[in-house]
Amino acid sequence: MNLLTLALRNIRLNRKKYIMYVFSMGFSIFTVYTFLALMQNNYVKMAFQFDTRYTMILTSFGVIILVFVLFFLISSNNSFIRARKKEISTYSLFGMTNLRIGKLLFLETMLVGTATLAIGIGAGIFFSKLMAMFLLDLCLTNFVGDISFTIDPMAMVVTALLFLIIFCMMGLSALRVIYQFELVDLFKADKISEGKQKGSVAVLILSLILITSGYILASINNSMVVVLGAIPILILVISGTYLFFWGGLPKVLGLIKRNKRVYYGGVNLISVSAVSHRMKSIASVMATIAVLSAVAATAIATGFTLYSNAERNTYSNIGFDLVYYGEKVALQDEMHGVFETNHVNINRKDIVELNEVDPKTESIMIRERKHLSDEDSFRVYSETKYNSLIMASKNNLESVQIPSGKAYYIFPFSQEGIEDAMLGLELDFQDSAVQIMKVIRSNVPGFGLDHTLILNDRDYEVLVRSNEITPSQMNGRTLTATVITYEAALSNKKLNNELEEALTGKVERYRTAYSLYNESMETFGLICFIGFFMSGVFILMTASLLYFKQVMAAEEERHQYKMLRRIGMEDKTERQVIQKRLLPVFFIPLAIGIIHSIFAMKTADTIIFSNMIPVENSYLSVLGFSTVMYLAYAVVYGVFYLITKSQYGRLVRNESH
Amino acid sequence: MQILKVENVSKIYGTKRNSNKYTALRNISFEVNQGDFIGVMGASGSGKTTLLNILGSLDKPTTGNYIMNGQNIGDLQRNQLAKHRMENIGFIFQDYNLLETMTLKENIILPLSLMGMDAKTIEAKLAKLAGDLGIVPVIDKYPYEVSGGEQQRAAACRALINNPKMILADEPTGNLDSKSGKDLLNLLSFINTEYKTTILMVTHDVFAASYCQKILFIRDGEIYNELYAGSDKKHFFDSIIDVMSMLGGERK
Repeated sequence: MNLLTLALRNIRLNRKKYIMYVFSMGFSIFTVYTFLALMQNNYVKMAFQFDTRYTMILTSFGVIILVFVLFFLISSNNSFIRARKKEISTYSLFGMTNLRIGKLLFLETMLVGTATLAIGIGAGIFFSKLMAMFLLDLCLTNFVGDISFTIDPMAMVVTALLFLIIFCMMGLSALRVIYQFELVDLFKADKISEGKQKGSVAVLILSLILITSGYILASINNSMVVVLGAIPILILVISGTYLFFWGGLPKVLGLIKRNKRVYYGGVNLISVSAVSHRMKSIASVMATIAVLSAVAATAIATGFTLYSNAERNTYSNIGFDLVYYGEKVALQDEMHGVFETNHVNINRKDIVELNEVDPKTESIMIRERKHLSDEDSFRVYSETKYNSLIMASKNNLESVQIPSGKAYYIFPFSQEGIEDAMLGLELDFQDSAVQIMKVIRSNVPGFGLDHTLILNDRDYEVLVRSNEITPSQMNGRTLTATVITYEAALSNKKLNNELEEALTGKVERYRTAYSLYNESMETFGLICFIGFFMSGVFILMTASLLYFKQVMAAEEERHQYKMLRRIGMEDKTERQVIQKRLLPVFFIPLAIGIIHSIFAMKTADTIIFSNMIPVENSYLSVLGFSTVMYLAYAVVYGVFYLITKSQYGRLVRNESH
Repeated sequence: MQILKVENVSKIYGTKRNSNKYTALRNISFEVNQGDFIGVMGASGSGKTTLLNILGSLDKPTTGNYIMNGQNIGDLQRNQLAKHRMENIGFIFQDYNLLETMTLKENIILPLSLMGMDAKTIEAKLAKLAGDLGIVPVIDKYPYEVSGGEQQRAAACRALINNPKMILADEPTGNLDSKSGKDLLNLLSFINTEYKTTILMVTHDVFAASYCQKILFIRDGEIYNELYAGSDKKHFFDSIIDVMSMLGGERK
């Protein structure tokens, strides 16, 4: 019998074990291929070539995937070999040299690997198309970019080459495992503990301190500090997570063991001891999964939040569906004509008279840059005018009430320190003065000027009478702004084009919600798509790793269940034992990953969302959106848990009679 | 007091259609009284382990009744069987069958904690039994950290902890050296006299069998002979050897 026939025979005889192996390996190939196909996709290429930030993000995603695939395959390969210890040791006993056994296993890996490669790439071609369609049609319906996946020969070749290299590395690593075996150990393999992990209180506390301090840093409300602290936060949290799983969790299990009332409840006794027995072999996997889950959950939540807020963000930016000001000729009739020919109803139209004022003030410097000086004019509104303007808008700014002698200050950009600089500032007019009592960020009411003031109605009247508030002039006409809201503004492309055509060159400036919305859709939609896509891949990859590990463990734990049934464990108890044995393995990394992500979202909120989402407490709203994605994540994990549970149960119940 | 009655028990392996039938047990009948220490002997393949599996309700007889405490065990459902095993029977196996993931102590209290007993009662029961069986010094170790004799004593301890009506021992000394084997047999005798526990032990070791009060010899699935221990241990030992040599089994 030569090696090839022996290898083929082995594959046939071990097909049950090989099915799981092929499953996890096929999944890795699928992942890598899909990622490469995504990278090769023309649209993605075009969109990202111009922005090095996105290229960076994608490349680092690629590196994480590759490292993880390598880690995943080598670890599953090694546990696969361990599961076949008896068989291998029999070869050894009959005088086969380690090298020959290594060759045999390598041959098997190559045979199965090549087949799997074909399956994986095939699945990749099929699913990347399916996944893209699914994401674009169901989740990102408003996304206008064109991401179509085609069969990509480049990605296929690269995937194949990559995996042939990985198979060789697996072969070497298998050889190492075989050389590490002692014949004697091989025959009593099942009985040797994988090494007990006692854990220590010091490590537990240290890991909690590390994670907590990372969290505290991440929760700081100052975006400059958070951006600078990003790397330290990552180091603190990741090292804390690994320490927790290496030394902390075993200690927690130890503490549970000490509580006899809980521990001596039959089911707990079996499952806690079984989990703590496996701790060493699974601690690194759990920690890695927790970290990856955090990354994936954050990516998915960020993408979804950006995407979901695109509409809100658009209106907080522009306020109306159509805004224009400074017309050079009379436009009213022409505009109405455009709406009429398109059969679109105008919901509301307002013409706002724009006024300005030029008070005396000290110069304000913010971060060594001039923010305000005596020459700057302010756009100015009475509180009544302002309130009616924002009432008409789709913005969710609140109406204001201002006491005499005070003023609100509105600035279109978010800037560090603006509040400190502007609050309490005195603006002097000829006979009076107002003091700024509040700073708002909005670019709705400025209409061409950076600084905007809202005054008490009576103060405003007085200044109009003393001719200090004057109507703005432009192109020889009194400046007015026309703000319009109309039906189905974000979806009517034809109307938008015609409106833009009618306005071009005839006004000082115009903006439409449609254009703004679609611009942000294009950027956010793509970020969101890639976030979803990569998270999906991460979720499936981590969950299937857990599945694989547990099913492999089931093979080794089978005799324990057999013994337990002998001493009278009922079926119901057995199901509880299996549940308690598996649940922590799935649940703990997921929970820790999500908690990490909640804090990561806080950081993202401080840096990005608080400027984007115009509500009082943007973090709460971010958490709301994130929760949807966390739930989706948990559901996928739950499905994997159920699959694993039934498979595990089936395996340990086998041979029961 | 009679605690176990076996009536015409047969066990046939292989399906009805399959002509490859194999009869492991043929019309076996016997009775066991409270406090008996019974040995079951026979050559390899004679059906003694099958008998033990049926008595332990791990396996069901093809025909015949097996009555314990006035209840026909064959009528019980799967989960009732589990309960029956937990409450009435203690097992000691040749390869100990301790859970590797647990310390000896945890292994021993396992049946009680599966029954849902509270921690205090468990500790109290354990303390007495562990003291009697002499495993206190190693009780917090894991099975792979202690000797075979100690593992088997822990297994005996686990079998006893829920005060079973009957202990079934399948070649308990099979994996032990002669010193540990002797210790274990003394322990079983001690259990038998001190706790009045009924013991049924399958063995092919004549020396082990000589500790019993009564021996059933099985050949080709049938009871071939019975021997009772008299006052003379030497004589009993010789008689066992005689029967065994007639059976064509191992000699010692």
